[in-house]
Amino acid sequence: MNQPSARRRRTGYLFCLPGMAFLALFLAYPLLYNVWTSVHDVDLGQLLGGAERFNGLDNYRAVADDPAFWHSVRLSLVFTLGSLLLQFSIGFALALLFARPFPFNGLLRSLMLVAWLLPPVVSGTLFRWMLDAESGAYNALFQAVGLSGLSHDWLTDPSTSMAGVVFANVWVGVPFNMLLLLVGLHTIDPELHEAAAIDGASAWQRFRRITLPLMRPVSVTVLLLGLLYTFKVFDLVYVMTGGGPVDATRVLSLYVYEVFFTFFRFGQGAAAGLLLLVVPLLAGVWYVRRLRREDEAPAGGAV
Amino acid sequence: MRPPRRPWLLTATATLTTAVFLLPVYWMVKTSLTRPDRIQTPDPQWAPSPVTGENYSTALGYEGLTRALFNSLVISCGVVALTLLLGVPLAYALARVRMRGSGTMVLALLVAQLPPAIVLAAPLFILERRAGLTDTYLGLIAADTTLTLPFTVIVLRPVMRSVSPELEEAALVDGCGLSGVLLRVVLPLMVPAVVAAAGLSFLIGWGEFLFGLTLAEGPGVQPVTVLLNAFIGQHGTSWGALMATATLISIPVVCVFAVFQRFIVGGLTAGSVRG
Repeated sequence: MNQPSARRRRTGYLFCLPGMAFLALFLAYPLLYNVWTSVHDVDLGQLLGGAERFNGLDNYRAVADDPAFWHSVRLSLVFTLGSLLLQFSIGFALALLFARPFPFNGLLRSLMLVAWLLPPVVSGTLFRWMLDAESGAYNALFQAVGLSGLSHDWLTDPSTSMAGVVFANVWVGVPFNMLLLLVGLHTIDPELHEAAAIDGASAWQRFRRITLPLMRPVSVTVLLLGLLYTFKVFDLVYVMTGGGPVDATRVLSLYVYEVFFTFFRFGQGAAAGLLLLVVPLLAGVWYVRRLRREDEAPAGGAV
Repeated sequence: MRPPRRPWLLTATATLTTAVFLLPVYWMVKTSLTRPDRIQTPDPQWAPSPVTGENYSTALGYEGLTRALFNSLVISCGVVALTLLLGVPLAYALARVRMRGSGTMVLALLVAQLPPAIVLAAPLFILERRAGLTDTYLGLIAADTTLTLPFTVIVLRPVMRSVSPELEEAALVDGCGLSGVLLRVVLPLMVPAVVAAAGLSFLIGWGEFLFGLTLAEGPGVQPVTVLLNAFIGQHGTSWGALMATATLISIPVVCVFAVFQRFIVGGLTAGSVRG
């Protein structure tokens, strides 16, 4: 064989080319184009063949001066933190349950994952119906168990619509959280628990002193992935409330959508979109650095 | 962990939890099978009686539903094909060939998963319009593949690494080129991982909404998710037909998941938490 490694490398690059070229064309270029749009005065007229005018940071200023933008920032914060907190704690509780061996464990676990795999548009439509004021299943359930005080027009009341949307989003997120946390629980050496039990530690003490600290690295990962997913959510909210009533659930992704696709203020929409990128990028950078650190440290050393 | 003393008690608890959790899914199917005049009542029935297919015929009679289901099928199959075509060689090269820049490429693929779809949908709308790609299958397939390709490579790369290099070297010595090694030696060994990636890509293509909403202008290529959302506006209180539509969309999801379940769960966890 003559110069196998050089030839091999050349073929390797050839293998990478189509995929990377595709991503450059359909992902990187549009994102860069977004940056260009964000410093130009672009609206529907330009799209139909007019000339764009460079306008510096005007678009960013317009976004920062828009009270609706800051309202959306607050809503995104509430939506993300509320969803994360609930789906993580419920997912953790379920993972503890499913970590123990019992008949039909695998089957039940897989069934729960269906909630996560349903298209968000389907779940959104479904929860609109579940939370319906007059004939929704949840209100009927409340009445059946004598809690009719809790039955409520969840999605059309501006003060509770956010709770309704978070509820649906938590439902979607719980199985995924459970699955990943379950993987984490299985990596804990059972002998630790056995030894502690022999020493007379109660179940609660073992949970506090063994499970929780050993689950910290996995928990950080799960919360971070949850943050990335939740911050992106568009479909579910759009289908359930369209951002309403009025603007009670107009989270950032819906705000960007409105500026861009409803008002066709492309420059301003691009600027808002780039501001929306800040959170996932920061979280992503932090995550990658953390993975690198774990790679360097020997397994288990990250605790 | 020690075998629990009363495993059936745990099964009962878990069954109850799962049942409560999946109530919405049951309710969707139940509503779709209930007679329309018995759906909107203050005290709903817990099981449909009599069971009826009326809502399904109503839904399938709505304009565009069969077409949209077909569109979604074309789009998701296209997404699977394009993703594997681009992703398998890329993952293989990144796993096996020592190249300058492969670390950067892996990092780029990780970063590629970060931007929210709306940030991409906005410029794609302008660019695909200029290129004449809006309102075509290709435009939608390409947009969806920006979601599936990065994670497919991230999931497949470590699996490709685990294939024993001796096998490949033997094939190389026998005169196989790198493509021959990939096609004849590596791919057959990683059918499960490729199947998982294909299944997940299909599910993402099938459920995608935002690109469909912004890049498809008419019913010609509109995916069924966009149509379901439009139905809420048009037939807002016909919950029977809406739930029938939602059930029809969910059936392929459940089927794909049932068939590929083992692979998909493995692939998910491999892609998200390493080690």
